Amino acid sequence: MSGLTEQQAKEFHEQFKTTFTAFVALAGLAHLLVAAAQPWI
Amino acid sequence: MSEIKKPKNPEDDWKVWMVVNPATWLMPILFAVLATVLIIHWVLLSLGFGF
Repeated sequence: MSGLTEQQAKEFHEQFKTTFTAFVALAGLAHLLVAAAQPWI
Repeated sequence: MSEIKKPKNPEDDWKVWMVVNPATWLMPILFAVLATVLIIHWVLLSLGFGF
């Protein structure tokens, strides 16, 4: 359907998971720093 | 319709890319995430949360 082979789909998904995990970790760190500097609740 | 096997997640998550071509949809997905994040922050800041 998408045209990707099983191998390509699995390979892309591994990179997608890695990048998304890094994004969440960085966003989490940013939120912790803001919460420490200026609590919003 | 013939009985389609239910996916088992997260082990079958990768199969989404057999349907959605990332060459076409990766950037739209990332822009959707950016739009969602901007809207959430805009709403919360306008509600007075934050500086």
